[in-house]
Order: sequence, then structure tokens, then C-alpha cells
Amino acid sequence: MEAQSLISIAQLLIGGIFILVLINLYLVVKLKEIDPFRNWKPHEINGALFVVFGIVGTIAAAISYMRWEELMLLVKFPASEHGEVIDSMFWITMAVALFVTLVTNALLFLFSWMYRSKPGRRAQFIPENNMLEIVWTAIPAVVLTALVGYGAYNWLKIFDDPPENAIHIEMNARQFDWTFRYPGPDEEFGNRSVSYINDGQGNTIGLNLEDPKGHDDIILASDLYLPVGVPVSFTIRSRDVLHSATLPHFRMKMDAVPGMPTNFWLTPTLTTEQMREETGNPDFVYEMSCQQICGGAHWNMRREVVVVTAEEYQKWLGEQKAFYTDWQEKFGEEQVPNPVLPDPKQIAEDPDGNNQEISMN
Amino acid sequence: MAEEKQIEQHAVEKQEKGFHDDHHDHDHHDHHHGSFITTYVFSTDHKMIAKQYLITGIFMAVIGIFLSTLFRLQLAFPDTPFPFLEGLLGRWAPDGIIDPNFYLALVTMHGTFMVFFVLTAGLSGTFSNYLIPLQCGARDMASPFLNMLSYWFFAASCVIMIASLFVSTGPAAGSWVIYPPLSALPQAIPGSGVGMTMWLISMTLFIASSLMGGINYITTVLNLRTEGMTMMRMPLTIWAFFVTAILGVLSFPVLFSASLLLMFDRLLGTSFYLSDIFIGGELLHYSGGSPILFQHLFWFLGHPEVYIVLLPALGITSEVVSVNARKPIFGYKAMVLSILGIGVLSFIVWAHHMFVSGMNPFLGTVFMIFTLVIAVPSAIKAFNYIATLYKGNIHFTPAMLFAIGLVSFFITGGITGIFLGNAALDIPLHDTYFVTAHFHIVMGSASAFGLFAGVYHWFPKMFGRMMNRRLGYIHFWLTFIALYLVFFPMHYMGMGGVPRHYYSITAFNMFEGFMDIQVFITAAAIFGFLAQFFFLYNFFYSIFYGKKASANPWKANTLEWTTPRVPGHGNWPGDIPPVYRWPYDYSKPGIKEDYLPQHIPDQEVEYEEGYIIPEVDPKKIPVEIEKKEIEEG
Repeated sequence: MEAQSLISIAQLLIGGIFILVLINLYLVVKLKEIDPFRNWKPHEINGALFVVFGIVGTIAAAISYMRWEELMLLVKFPASEHGEVIDSMFWITMAVALFVTLVTNALLFLFSWMYRSKPGRRAQFIPENNMLEIVWTAIPAVVLTALVGYGAYNWLKIFDDPPENAIHIEMNARQFDWTFRYPGPDEEFGNRSVSYINDGQGNTIGLNLEDPKGHDDIILASDLYLPVGVPVSFTIRSRDVLHSATLPHFRMKMDAVPGMPTNFWLTPTLTTEQMREETGNPDFVYEMSCQQICGGAHWNMRREVVVVTAEEYQKWLGEQKAFYTDWQEKFGEEQVPNPVLPDPKQIAEDPDGNNQEISMN
Repeated sequence: MAEEKQIEQHAVEKQEKGFHDDHHDHDHHDHHHGSFITTYVFSTDHKMIAKQYLITGIFMAVIGIFLSTLFRLQLAFPDTPFPFLEGLLGRWAPDGIIDPNFYLALVTMHGTFMVFFVLTAGLSGTFSNYLIPLQCGARDMASPFLNMLSYWFFAASCVIMIASLFVSTGPAAGSWVIYPPLSALPQAIPGSGVGMTMWLISMTLFIASSLMGGINYITTVLNLRTEGMTMMRMPLTIWAFFVTAILGVLSFPVLFSASLLLMFDRLLGTSFYLSDIFIGGELLHYSGGSPILFQHLFWFLGHPEVYIVLLPALGITSEVVSVNARKPIFGYKAMVLSILGIGVLSFIVWAHHMFVSGMNPFLGTVFMIFTLVIAVPSAIKAFNYIATLYKGNIHFTPAMLFAIGLVSFFITGGITGIFLGNAALDIPLHDTYFVTAHFHIVMGSASAFGLFAGVYHWFPKMFGRMMNRRLGYIHFWLTFIALYLVFFPMHYMGMGGVPRHYYSITAFNMFEGFMDIQVFITAAAIFGFLAQFFFLYNFFYSIFYGKKASANPWKANTLEWTTPRVPGHGNWPGDIPPVYRWPYDYSKPGIKEDYLPQHIPDQEVEYEEGYIIPEVDPKKIPVEIEKKEIEEG
């Protein structure tokens, strides 16, 4: 209903503009003598408009920032350790960017006004000034070097190896949902390959059912559970097209690439409950999305992320049923678990599935 | 008394005929008549080819922007039926609601049309063709025939791309970057069927066209400059077109390789980009390929492409700003060096599009460093434009307004590149609306403004008539405001993490709150689209009915203004004028006029307190020529 009223507003707006357009065309082209603007001096008007545009634009930008500020989740309430660092970088960069944008745009618009053509004015012949060129080459170079240095340092730290005590979770993407695999009590993943996929029996990630390491693996196509304060190392996989595992609150994003597992690790710092208090929103939930175009329902690859204390996490994990157990109950008697021979490429891989290379390129 | 009158008359004549009366001896160049077909269709004249590029580009732009208004409607009103959409799109919009797959197709086609067909061919194709021979002092391109082929390959690629809009499975829909496996597998999205094949064929023709054009531009600039036109006396427009052509010739073939391998994967079952895929209920045979390989190949073109789009616009701005500020461009050498610097660096920054693609993070560090280095020459250019305005005598022609607008976009949009180029910050911001805002302002809006500035500035030479100034002003202000209203709020959505390419943002609690911005942006986008009709009307009306232009209406220094009002085949009726100085001697102290064209020999320069016609009021001459100049002095 609200959308409908908005449409009516939009239609009115568009209709109004269109009529304005027609009136203007008529005035400007056909009826020059009654044109109300015919005595306006273009240099004065345009020069002044630039200044007005600059001032009004800046105010409008500030007001609209305040209007939507509470929704800008990427720049406030980071929920992971590295997220705090990224946010501080964001605001440092923003300070530089705001300063430069405002000063240069202001000069551009002010000069347009101050040096507008007037009768009798002649421009001053200033072809170059090497000192100035050196200054405004050196200053951006120094500032950018500082930003790059800080950025590179943090970037490499974010992609450093995960700590020893990290727990492993595998994210499996397909069109159009996410399935998560937790390693179970043995803390190791069972072997997997696309050739083992059997959607009919729920084996959507291609778990090798003959690999005993995989018998305790927990595979869930539902909310993602994470323990607070514990490093979590993700292995991200896709079985069809590119996807991107995005957890905006945790400042995490990594593409899921078919045929090539990728990695990302993070340490959550706030449980869902704590975040509810922090944001003052009792209905707050962490959400996970796909941010690499992947097909018709790309916009709807949603999962909730639940962050709980480490104890609650262990308790929750203990309550989950291993996929193999579940599968055996349903299909175990009908057939041998694994009719296909393991893919040779898969054997060469690290057996726990957290492989090795990020990229061969 | 009589003598004085004669001198005055002479001065008037000089203005009208483009100064070099002694060359005006009507040799064969002036009288080259062809049939309708050879003049207007299969023309080898660079000026006609430029106009063909321009009008085709405008046509593609209208379609491209119209497609964007369609998907903007969807984004603002995701669940609201628009019955007219069903009439327009048929089964792609059942009950007036756009199909999600077709939404992606619209986005893809908008990107493809705007980036390749409008801002690459429409901008660089038009102005490189038009200005390189005219500003270098050449009769035509080095190979006029190749030039003609270049346009017709481009036209063919346009036809195929437009035709792909009408195939039953829809046009390509994997976004303009066509990442496989999405673009390789028809099972993944309907647009990856025939539509994708047509996209690849069309782009192959486009690449061929671009290479033929590029080789021509490079050869012409290097070999056909007139006497005295050294490289460091070339206008910055030519420098920009020259470097752009080199970028195109070096990078477009890589896109061709990427497309060819994708074609093999699609049609011959090879596995260059595909591996371990289970889709549509079956395991595919592909093994060992890498989707990341495609991204490297694509962006090896894709990033220089950004500068292929932007550099010509910056070149045009340099010229327009200098002419209309009546001042030399500030720091000519620094400008040339930064164009060259941007050109070189643009080849080693491509992987900043791939920080979170799964590429080795160490590579990310390297590309981050080069990416932020490329910001330095860009900053130099922006500062130089502003310094050019300082103490100038700014004539606000519509072209000048667009040039100033471009500088504003270049700053505002460029600065957000510092966020995105910084790999660690790119993790949250990648593929959000922040990116959309960034490149639409710095690449889309800025380059479009370069195109507009160029059209308004060179229209009098192209068609011999003036465009309506006031419509130009209205067009500028509406467009300038609309573009900021459309793209600036997208930064806020980006800071809210809202992803690009989303059919609707209503599925997530964290994004829902931005629906009102979406409605606002859509209204602004439609407003901006309608504003373009001022331009379209002005453009086509003025071609036929505009006020007749003088040979040099902006009093500019470069060689194209020494040609007759409408230059004929061969450009100059007499000899090609030689060049005696750089093109930016505006308001030089001691010179009578506030401009000093490149082709005036030193001994013919008229000095301020000189001996030639000190009695004549210098203001009288422009009065005769360009009545509008009176009010501006």
C-alpha cells in the first residue's frame, strides 16, 4: 500500500517534469520575445549556480547521511576482531576523502564563480608552475603511501594462517542456498567430491560416505552457528557457479569458486544477544548473503547467523545429528554407500578438506 | 578613413574564413562529390565516420539508459505490477512484474551498451575520428578504408547485440563482466544460452572494429602531423586519444582470447574455466579449469577499458576548459606525463577487481600498491584543471559547464577509489552499491559529460551550425543534479552493505530499510533520463535549423578551426596550415586578441600596442561575428 502511494508520487513527479519540459521547449524555441529568462546573464547565472549547487549539495549530503546513518552496518558495530581494524581504516580514509572532496570541489565551484567572464576582464597567463606540481604530486603520494602501508599490513594480517585453536566450518554454496558442514567430535572433515553428490539422498555437498572421518560430520542447510571469541576458519566451496560468502557484520566476503576451495577466518566478538543490546534492536539477527551474481534467485540466498557463547556452541553442536547417521537410517540398507570410485584429484588433496592453495594463478 | 574601413573588413573576413586567405585557392580538395552511398553510408571521410559513430552511440545510449530506468522501476517497487511492462516485455514481465532472470539481463545489457557501445565507441570513436586528422593537420586518417571498415564492424556488432534482446531465452544475463561458469552454462541462467553466444559474437566484431580504429589513430598521430606539429605541440585531446588507442590495441585482443576460450568451453566442451560442476541434477564432465583465469583475462582488458573510456573525456575537458577559461591549460607537461602515467599503470592494476575472488592474497597486496599509485596522476590532472580556472575569464558555454561538471565527478567519484583500491577495505565494500556509486560517477557520469562537452564544443564544426545555448544550460543543470541525486545516495547504501545485482533488497532485514532510497534514486533516474530529451531535441533540431556558426565560434587556437565553416573532403581547401606554437596561447600578455592560433607565423602576430590597427576597438570585431559575445564582453 505504501508502495502504491509512492508510485503515485513518482508518477506525479514525472508527469510534472514532463509538462515543465514541454513548456520550456515552447518558451525557449518558439516564443523568444516572451521568454522570461531572456535578460539573464549566462555567466552570472551559471557561476552562481555552481556555488549554490556546492552549498546545497553538501548540506543535502550531510542531512541524508544522518537520515540513513543507523542503517550503515558496514561502518558501525563490527562483530569481528578484524572488522574493528577495517572500520578504523574506513574512517581514517573517510577523513582524508572528505577533506579532499570538499576542498577541491569547493575550489572548483568558487573559481567558477570568481573568475566568470565579465566585460573587460582578461585572463592571467599562467601556463605552469613546477613547484606547485611537485607539491600536489608529493602530498597525495605521501598520504596514499601511508594508507597503502596500513592497508597492506592489515590485509596480510587478515589473510594470515588461522590460529591453532581455530574451529573449522565448511560453507557450501549452490544455486540458491548455503549448506554448512561442521567437523563433529573428531574435528576433521571427511573426504568429499562433486562426483559423490546425491541430492535425492540429501548428500548435496558430495560427502564420501566410505570415509570414516566423515561419519561424524554435521551437515546443515539452516542457520550458521558461531561461537563468540573463538577463531573460526571457513573453507568455502561452490558446486555450480561463482557465489560469494558475505557476512557484512563480520566484514567477511570471499568468493565460492567451483573446483577451488577458498578460505577466510575471523573471530566473532559479539553474540547475537550482545548485538541486540548494542543496536537497541530486539529483533536483530546477523545475516549472510551472496554477493557474486549467481542467477535468478541471487538476491535471496539468505541464511541467518547465530553467534552464541563457546559453551552454548558446544552444547548446540552436540545436539546435532551427524549426516552419516541420518543417512544410514534412511537409505543405508538400500544400497552400498558409495558406488563411485573416489576422484583421484580428491585423494591428492588434503584429506580434511581445508586445502592448500588459494589460487594457482 | 577608407583605409580603416578596409582593414576592419579584412579583420572580419579573417574571422569568417578561418584566417588563411592566401590558401583559399579552391583546388580539387574542395570539390569532391560522391554518390549518396559513398558520402553518407560507406564513407571513407573521417568526419562522416565520426558522425556515424556519434549518432550510433546516441542511439545505443538511449536504449542503454532506457533499460536502466526499467530495472530501476523494479528496484524501487519490487512487488508492484506495472501493466505497461507486460506490454513492453511480454512474458519477461508476467502481470507487469519483471522476471528475476530478465532483471539480470537488463542490468547486463545496460552495462554492455553503456561501457562498450556508448562510452568506448560513441566517445572515442567519434572524437578520435573527428579530431585526430583535424587537430594534427591531416587530410584524413592514415587508412580511410580501414576506418570505414571499423565503423561497419561496429555497426554490425550493435545490430547483433540489439538482436540478442529479442531471442527467446533472453540476452546475456551474467552482468557485463560475464564471469563463467554462470555465463558458460545455459543450465545456470537462461541468458547463458543463445543470448550469450550472440554477446560473444557481437563483442568479437566490436573488438575487431576497435583494433582497426586504434591502429589508424596511432598511425595517424605518429605519421600525419602537419609541419611544425611536434608531439609536445599536440593538443591534449590528441594525447589522450593517442594513449587511449594504444591501450585499446594492447588490451582488447586479450578480451578476444578470453571470449574465444569461453566460446570453446561453451561449444566444444573444453575446460578452460570450468571444473567440478554439478548443476541441473547432473555432474558435468569439466575438470581442471579455473574461473579465476577468466577474471584475470577479462580484467586485463577491463581495467584499461576504464581508462579507454575516461581518457578521451579528460582530453576533451582539457581543451574545453582551456578555451573557455581563456587561459593556457595549467601544466601541459604534467598533463601529458600523467596521461602517459595513467596509460602505463592501467595495465598493472587489473586484479584490484579480484581481491576477494579467491586469488592469492599476496597478489592482492601488489595490485593494491599499483592501484593507489595510479591515483597520483589522476589527482595531478584534477588539480591542474582547477588551477586552469584560477584567474581565468570563464565563458560558460554549455561545453564548459559539462567540462566543469566532469571535473567535479572525477574528484567525487575518484576519491572513493581510494576506499575500494585498498584491499582490506574492499572486503566489506566489494560488490556493494558503493562500487556502483564509484564507477558510475567516475567512469559513467564523468565520461558521459566528456561526451556532452565534446558534442557541444565541436558541433559548430561538425554541422556548421550552433546548438541552442539555453537548452544546453537546462540540459546541463538537470543532468548534473540528477546524476548526483542518483549516484551519491548509493554510497550510503554501499555503507549499509547493500549488494549490487539484487533483484530486490526486501529479502534481508539488514537491507530493507533502504527501500526509500531506492524509490528516491529511481525517481531521480527517470528525471535524468527525461532531461536527455533536451539534448536530443537540441542536437537534431540544430543540425538542420540551428543558427549558422562562424568558422571559429569559440575563438580557439587549434587547427580544426582554421578549416571552412563546414570542412569538405580533405579538410583544408588549400595547403594544410603549418604550426608555429603550442595550442594553449590564450590571453598571452602583449598579444592583441586573447587567443593566438597555432598556425599564425610569429611575424604575423598582432601585438597589443603594435602598429597594425591600434585605432580599431578590439571589441568591435567580435560584435560583427558573434552577437552573443556582446553581453559577455
